[in-house]
Formats: sequence, C-alpha cells, structure tokens
Amino acid sequence: MEARSIWERMMQIDRRILYAILAVNIVAALMARVAIEPDIPPPVKRFYDTIEALQPGDMVMVSSTWSAGTLAENQPQFEAVLKHLMRKRVRFTIISFAPPARDISHRLARRLTEDFGYVEGKDWAHFGYAPDIIIAVKGMSEDIVQAIRQDVRRVPIAELEVMKGVKSLKDYKLVVDVTPSDTLTYWISYRPPNLKILYCPTSVMAAEAYTFLDSGQILGMITGAKGAYEYERLLGIVGLGTRFINAIQFSHALIIVFILLGNFAMFMQRRTSAS
Amino acid sequence: MLFDTTQLVVALLWIAGAFALAIALIPLLGTLPPRGRFALISFVTFIAGLFFAAEFFLPVGEDNKNILTDPFQKMQGSLQVITALSLGLGTYGLVRMHLRNAIQRRPQWGYSLVLLVAFVVMAFFSVWNTMAEKGLFGLKRTPLLENAFTLLFDYTLIQLDATMFSLIAFYIFSAAYRAFRIRSIEASILMFTAMLVMIGIVPLGKLISDSIGLPAVQTAEMRTNPFMLENILYNLRLPQIASWIQETLNAPVQRAIEFGVGIGALAMAIRLWLSLERGIN
Amino acid sequence: MSYQHAEDNWFAAILIGFIALAVLVNIWRARRGKELYIRRIPGLDAIDEAIGRSTELGRPVTMIPGLTAFGVEAVQALTIFKYITKQIARFATPMRLLTANATVYAVAQEAIADAYNEAGRPDLYDPDSVRFLSSEQFAFASGVAGLMQRERVAANFMFGIFYAESLIFAETGNIVGAVQIAGTVSFTQVPFFVAACDYTIIGDEFYATSAYISREPVLLGSMVGQDLAKISFASMIVGGSLISTFLGTDHPIVQLLGKPQGWQPFVEWLSQMLGR
Repeated sequence: MEARSIWERMMQIDRRILYAILAVNIVAALMARVAIEPDIPPPVKRFYDTIEALQPGDMVMVSSTWSAGTLAENQPQFEAVLKHLMRKRVRFTIISFAPPARDISHRLARRLTEDFGYVEGKDWAHFGYAPDIIIAVKGMSEDIVQAIRQDVRRVPIAELEVMKGVKSLKDYKLVVDVTPSDTLTYWISYRPPNLKILYCPTSVMAAEAYTFLDSGQILGMITGAKGAYEYERLLGIVGLGTRFINAIQFSHALIIVFILLGNFAMFMQRRTSAS
Repeated sequence: MLFDTTQLVVALLWIAGAFALAIALIPLLGTLPPRGRFALISFVTFIAGLFFAAEFFLPVGEDNKNILTDPFQKMQGSLQVITALSLGLGTYGLVRMHLRNAIQRRPQWGYSLVLLVAFVVMAFFSVWNTMAEKGLFGLKRTPLLENAFTLLFDYTLIQLDATMFSLIAFYIFSAAYRAFRIRSIEASILMFTAMLVMIGIVPLGKLISDSIGLPAVQTAEMRTNPFMLENILYNLRLPQIASWIQETLNAPVQRAIEFGVGIGALAMAIRLWLSLERGIN
Repeated sequence: MSYQHAEDNWFAAILIGFIALAVLVNIWRARRGKELYIRRIPGLDAIDEAIGRSTELGRPVTMIPGLTAFGVEAVQALTIFKYITKQIARFATPMRLLTANATVYAVAQEAIADAYNEAGRPDLYDPDSVRFLSSEQFAFASGVAGLMQRERVAANFMFGIFYAESLIFAETGNIVGAVQIAGTVSFTQVPFFVAACDYTIIGDEFYATSAYISREPVLLGSMVGQDLAKISFASMIVGGSLISTFLGTDHPIVQLLGKPQGWQPFVEWLSQMLGR
C-alpha cells in the first residue's frame, strides 16, 4: 500500500488532533488579556438606545426561555439586559416558556438584583413557567392577573407591588425575548400592537431575525455572546460577553486558518498527482 | 386544602365519563368495516379542523373574540393535557425498555442500569423539591434536599447540558475543515462567504480592516457620494461585508425559503384536514 | 400588529383562500389524469442507495425526526420514515427511530408497525426499535450520538425540525461513516447539514418528498398548486416593487401588499376608483 503523502495526511487530519488544537486555542484565548474594540452594529445600537429611552417606573417583560444548553450565549445577554434595566430603575417581570429556564432565570435574577437593591415583588417579579406561549401571551394581553395568577413564589399577582397600575401587556413598554428557540414569532403574532420587542437570540437563531429587523417588527437585536460583548461596551461594564469574546474570535480565526490549510493541501495534492 | 372538593368530584366524573365513552367506542370502531372507520375518522378530522378554521374566519366583536374564541382557548388547554399524557407514555416506554435490558442482562445493560438509577434519583429529588417549594403535604426544604437538588441540578444537569452544547464548537471545526474545500463553484462560494462572515462579525475583523488602512467611519459626505473612493473602501471593511451578507443576501433568501415552507405547510395541512393525505405506497 | 383573525387583515385571509383553491384545483386536475412534472431531487434518489448500503454492511439505519412537536412537519417526517421502513423491511435491515417528543413517539410506533405489516413482514417489527429518548434537547442529542456510535449505523435519515443539536447528529454520523440524508424546514440548520451530510433537502423540498417518492396524483397536484401560489407571490413582489417605485410607498396597493393595516385604505381607494 502506497504511503500517504504529507498533503493527503494534511487533508485528513485526525479530528482528535483538531479538537485538541481548538481546546488549547480556547483556553489560551480565555486567559489572554487582549481587548479589541468592536464595531457596534446598528441592531445592537438600537437595542441599547431603546432601553436607554425608558423612564424610571416603566414596565418591561423579560421572556427568558433559555436553559443550561445555551448558557454561554444567553446568560451574558440576560445579565447585561437586567443590569441595564436596573440602572434605568425600570420595573420588570420575567416569564419562562421552558421548565428548566424558570429556575435558572429566577436564581440568576435574584443574585443580580441584590447588587442593585432591587426587591422581589416590589421592583421585579418572576411569573414562573407558562406551558403554552400562545395562551400565555394572548392571556397576558387581556388580563395578566387572570392569565398568570401567581408568581414563582406563589404570591398572587394582584398582591405584588411591582404590578401596581399594570393590568395587561398593554401597560408594558417593552418585551425583551432572551431565547434559543422560536418564541419570537409568537411574541410578534400575539402581543398588543404597541408593545415593542427586543430580541436576544443565540448566534444560530439570529439569521432568521434579520427579516423582522428589516420590517421593524423588532427594534434591536444582540446576537449571542458576541452581541452581549458589544452591548457591554456600550454599557461600560465587564460581563460574561467580554470574558468570552476572545475565545470566540480566536476560534473563528483558527477555523479560517485550517480551512485555508486544508485547501492548500488539496491544491498541492492535485499538483503532485498531476506531475 | 389541596383541592376544592366540588371541583375534584366534577373532574373525576368527567374523567370517568371520558373513560366510559372510550371503552364503549373502541369495540364499536372494531366492528366497523375499514371504509366505515376511514369515513368516521375523516369526518371527525374535518369537524376538528373546521372548528379552528371557523374561529379564524368568523367576524369578531370589539373584544377581538367571536363565539368560538373561548372554546378555542379551552381546546388549546386540552391539547396540553394530551401532550402531558403522552409524556407519560414516552417515559413508560423508555423505562420499560431499559428495565428489561437490565433484568435480562442484554448487551450494554450497564448503561440501562445507569439510566434507571439516574431517572429514579432525579425524579425523586425533583418531585420532593417542587412539593417543598409549594408547601404541599407539610414538606419543607431541608438542608439535605437543598444540597442534593443543587448537586443534581446545578452541578450535574446544567453542566452536562452545557457540555453537550459545547461539543458543537468542536464539531463545527471538523465539519468546516472537511467540507469547505474548493471542489466546485458552489462549494467555493459557500467557503468564502463563511470565512468572510466568521471574521467580519468579531472584533478581529475590525482590527484587520483598520490595520490595512480602510476608513473606520462613514462620514456624511461619504453617505451622500456613494461612489467616492473612500466610501467604496469603507464598504470593503470586513464588518461591513459581513453585515451586507447577513442583511442583504441572507434575509431575502430566507424570506423566499420561508414563503415556500409556509405554502407547503398550508398545502399539507389542507390535505390532512380533507383526509387527502394517504402516505406513500 | 397581531394577526389572530381574518378580520385583522382580509387580504391575508384572501391569500390563504387562494392558496387553498390553487392546491385543491390542481389535485382535482391530477385526479382526472393530467400528467404533472416534478423535477429531480438528488437527495431523495439516494434514499434507496443508502438503505442498500446498510443492508450490505449489516449495520442499522437510524431515522430521526428531530425536535419536531406533533404537527404537519412530524406527519411528513413519519410519512417518509414509513416509506423507508417499507424498503428496509424487504431486506430485514435493522432500524432505529429515535424521537424527542412523546406524541410523535406514540404515532411513530403505530406508523412503523403499519409499515412492516404493509411490507408483509410483521414478524420483523421490534417495538424497541422506536424509542423515546428524552424531551430535553441535549439529553436527546447525547442519546442519539451514543446510540449511533455504539451501533455503528450505516445510514442516517434526519427529517423534521432541528435546532442546535443537528450538527451533533450529523457529525456523529460522519464519524461512524454513515451515509446521511437530511431534510428540514429549519432554515438555520441547513448550513450544518450541508457541511456534514451527503444530501440535504431544503425548505419546501421537504414537503415535496412524499409527492416525489410516490408520484401519487393527489400529492403531485398539491405540489403544482403550491408552485402556482409561489409564482403569484413572486408576481406580487415584483408588481409591488414597481408600483412603489413609480407611484410611491403610500399608494393603497403598496399598503395592501406591505402593511398589516393596509386592507382598509385599499378598500376605500378601490371604492373611490369604482365610484368614478
């Protein structure tokens, strides 16, 4: 059997070697103290400006449907959004449409709100898990107390101080959808007409959202951990997005280098075979 | 009080009635000839579909409801119940299969045993935790429960979930290395587009564009004179190219595919509703 | 603008009616014997090849409907899997159908049992070949990946709705050397399938699969009706672009085509035009 040429071996590198190289690259990038200023894309800028335009006491709904699988992408977004809302002294409620998402978002929110002196029930609330997004959004558009009844601590919605003067989603200024799944189309379809939407998808789901951005059905979007980094730069904070961006960008660079390497090897292999 | 007595009795009567109806119907369906069964199923399917279509097309009042809207919402609730019931069926199938593997010592029965132990332990502590949170049956959150639930949920389940998602990063690397080769025109376009977007969307793309001297900012003059050299160079920045690919190339293509998918789904739904869908023979 | 009833925008309701009519008329034409053409879809031609390869190697076939909840996509996926199962039954090739949705699992059990019955091999049906693994996305993904690795599957068919776990399935299939055919309406997962699978069926080709394989008149007629609807949509887009270019974006016809609240202004304008 003919020995494989170096070019053939390069074209068919054992994937375990590739994984090891990527792992080393990610670890090194996470430890590297390299900060590169990003270009802030217009959707991120609009996202920031929309929340920045809110007034103290305004009401915002945060729809948090992410769970452990997409922690790396959605947690930075969720944390940055909550910090921005609390900085603006805005009231907010959180709702989840996936069972694990309820616990994760509730615990995270409890931890973050302590730093800003926010009190659960008074300044913010978590509505828990709603099994059907269509029924929940339609119901909340009519009457939140009827639709949700009690928060995650089993306190009746009507007794929550944060819900004073709020009867339905029509009294909310904004909904921020932090999600790895297809909840956006339901929010767009079933929300009250004047309720604005901001979107925080994972990077993969972002591709589907450009049509909605174009038509103005969503006002702004931050895409994955990279978008969270850009948003954190606008907020002037250091969060998970900032910590993860080096791993993301240097991994992208590594993949491109190897793609070029693979093509170079293919080209050289063809030349060698031809000669 | 856990439940209201009257509501409990009414609920139990409904459930008993549904069981009785089902038990009566099943032998009746069995006696029907195949064509009769098909006709009955087609009729029920048509009426069920008609309900949802009628709710959509019937005029609404000022409260945005028609006579079918409230039953429609109740119907959606009952669909959730069916989904919950079927989850029980799926779980039963899973447990039955792995229990049989473990008892009969079939190949790889060790994995089945691990699954069963994990299933029982997780279910036990999750149910206990939920009941303690709601204060049901006088249960409280003890330190043992809190530690166990934290260990199982925060330190095991969440980390395993995140780990599986992280695998995708490695798989993308090997898939991209293998697939993105200049084998044909289409493959080349795919490769170059992917590379441009990958580098353009991260800060490295901006750094590379700045370091080769491309204008960093689009001035008002450049916006009014799109064909001036500086504006052309600005639009050759990697972030601008990536943004153009995503917004100007990707979005219309996605709309086109979504149109096709939407029409296809509607056509299939019509075929199912009118029982025209017979499958493949 | 929410769109929950026809009254919110009658134009959209009329479009739905038009599509339904186009589909039904063409089904009627097809049933009357009209010859209808459907173009070649390479991925679907390769299904039989993939099954043949599995049979030769003596390794199982996996069928994955993804995270599809029970609905139109799930029915289509199960229709395709039923066809594949009937082919498999002829050669007694082992198969695994792995679901993440309990309702799909319940229906899949019946569909696969029927497939073996229709192929005349009810003895080959193994209830454990249809499995519900988990409703959690990544628990399902790890279950599928593990099974594919342990059983060294030779062919992998993925049809349905997929999310992030799609690449885990596809790349694992690649690792074990399986022939992979994927069909999905999930736009965002198409690039991963294109990179990792041998054949990818995109968008409404997924709905065309049953028509393509069976050549049944009803299904072919439905495809033609869908294509007519698509041509109409394309014409509306071109027409709307031309009208908005020459007459402005405030023109009632443009508002009708482009704005959710465009029905009322269009009706008023039309009444004025007809009144003249």
